[in-house]
Amino acid sequence: MSAMVDSDSVYAIAESVFSAMIDGDEGLLLPWEGDLPQFADPLYAWVDLLGEWQGRAALTTEAPTAHALARALLMMGDDEVVSDADLIDAFGEIANVVGGNVKALLPTQGTLGLPRVDAVLPPHEGGSLSQELRLSWRGQPIVVAVWLFG
Amino acid sequence: MRALVIDDSRTMRRIVSGTLHNLGFETVEAEHGQAALDVLDSGVHVDLACIDWNMPVMDGLTFVTQVRADPALRDITLMMVTTESEQSQIVRALAAGAHEYLIKPFTADAIREKLEWLGLVPAEEYV
Amino acid sequence: MTLTSDTFEWVATLVRARSAIQLGPGKEYLVESRLLPLARAAGMPGVDAYVSKIRNGRDTVGERAVVEALTTNETSWFRDNSPFIALRAHLLPELMAVRNRPVHLKFWSAACSTGQEPYSLAMTLLDVLPPTVTFEILATDLSEKVLDRARTGKYSQLEINRGLPAPLMVRHFTRVGAEWQVSADLRSRVTFRPHNLLDTPPPGRFDVIFLRNVLIYFDLPTKQQILRRMASVLSPEGSLMLGAAETTIGVDAGWDRVPVGAASVYRPSRAAPAGSPAVPSQSARPGAATGALAASSVSALGIRAGAVR
Repeated sequence: MSAMVDSDSVYAIAESVFSAMIDGDEGLLLPWEGDLPQFADPLYAWVDLLGEWQGRAALTTEAPTAHALARALLMMGDDEVVSDADLIDAFGEIANVVGGNVKALLPTQGTLGLPRVDAVLPPHEGGSLSQELRLSWRGQPIVVAVWLFG
Repeated sequence: MRALVIDDSRTMRRIVSGTLHNLGFETVEAEHGQAALDVLDSGVHVDLACIDWNMPVMDGLTFVTQVRADPALRDITLMMVTTESEQSQIVRALAAGAHEYLIKPFTADAIREKLEWLGLVPAEEYV
Repeated sequence: MTLTSDTFEWVATLVRARSAIQLGPGKEYLVESRLLPLARAAGMPGVDAYVSKIRNGRDTVGERAVVEALTTNETSWFRDNSPFIALRAHLLPELMAVRNRPVHLKFWSAACSTGQEPYSLAMTLLDVLPPTVTFEILATDLSEKVLDRARTGKYSQLEINRGLPAPLMVRHFTRVGAEWQVSADLRSRVTFRPHNLLDTPPPGRFDVIFLRNVLIYFDLPTKQQILRRMASVLSPEGSLMLGAAETTIGVDAGWDRVPVGAASVYRPSRAAPAGSPAVPSQSARPGAATGALAASSVSALGIRAGAVR
């Protein structure tokens, strides 16, 4: 089951999202080297995959990193304050684009839920973690995870 | 040239609109297909619509179908801009009447090249 | 682990000299992230140490690796578009009109990189040519690495978004994981082979040679040498396609620039053999002797210069 959502594909998806929409350059999203530190103030963005194959694609990062991502997407200055609405929309849109591309890896055509952003990730019954990529974006940890729910 | 940018994400609307402004377009935004139809019904003329697929109220595919059913709107060029990236979905959108299909994530260059192909912006000379 | 400004300056200067790509202020993080994997692979603790080693050792292989890591190869499908329109609307119909049947056409995509150009060409030919007309496409590049990618025909989502019209995408590509792969049929239409532009050209008479955005990387004598070789393998009705910002004018007087639609193609001049030194005063003036001869060689193909739009 996890064979079709392989880590290379998920990494390729995450990398393309970051290079095209956030950084404007390739090579700024790298594998995390060493142990991943505990998130102190995590923020989650996720979309659910619906249909014959159910699942979820989620991003986790520290809240300040999520703000930095939102500023990059919205082309805001480094010291500009991101509103809650912009943060939720921008961070959620990253999960949405990642999720849509992950959905296309599945063998049957499903649909995509609407993106959600929260400080806690609600559990999903019977989910098994398919891929968990520990990444470094400009030195900050970002986890991209894909679950499939049988 | 005026473009209608239809996406439920304000972030995505800002990115698409920003790219279109740089290419010389004026833009009007709508957060779903029904809101976009309302804009067109109000008499706003647009040359191009950039359309997300998954949106609340009315999705992008339904919007494309509705626009194609209305002869008065036949001059609008329809480009899907969506994270839906299965081949079958692209075929569906083209069959429904979309002229082009851009998969998220995309770069500003990708938008420009699609619009060049559609004849909506003059071809830029590359170095 | 931040880069010293000394390291950054040196890398930026190197990359600018080799690729004309500018790494301005603010690109420090990009340099660091791109070079970090190379530094680790070389067993160095960080980018500063890695760059110092290359610098002090005058390590040309290392320099090349640095430049390659920082110059992303951005290639689009149907790059520039106008050459493909010219092909479709003018060059192919003209070639079919003047050739004896059965018509067989030969194309060469020189410096084809990861294959977008020869595959775009194949898609155009399949669309335009009747089934009775056969064709072959030779695609060459110096780098075996890019040729391997081109042969596999797999492209990332970002690459597939670049200039490939959606109807052609669904017709000629299928999704494989996170990538898109060129159909087996299209792949079978292109022969990829390593070739150095400074070596003897591949044998044959080509009807169209694509040599786009390549000459800019060479000095004047090398440009002249390459153009001479191209002339020697072009068919009598053949056309050379250069990049939109490139020209033979001022480089080699042995060519005529012929406008075809919004594009320009180059044909060996009947007046001066290809390889003649350029005479700027002559080639800079349209309508002079070369211009008139260009018109006559074009009319032999059944088109009139100036009326081809």
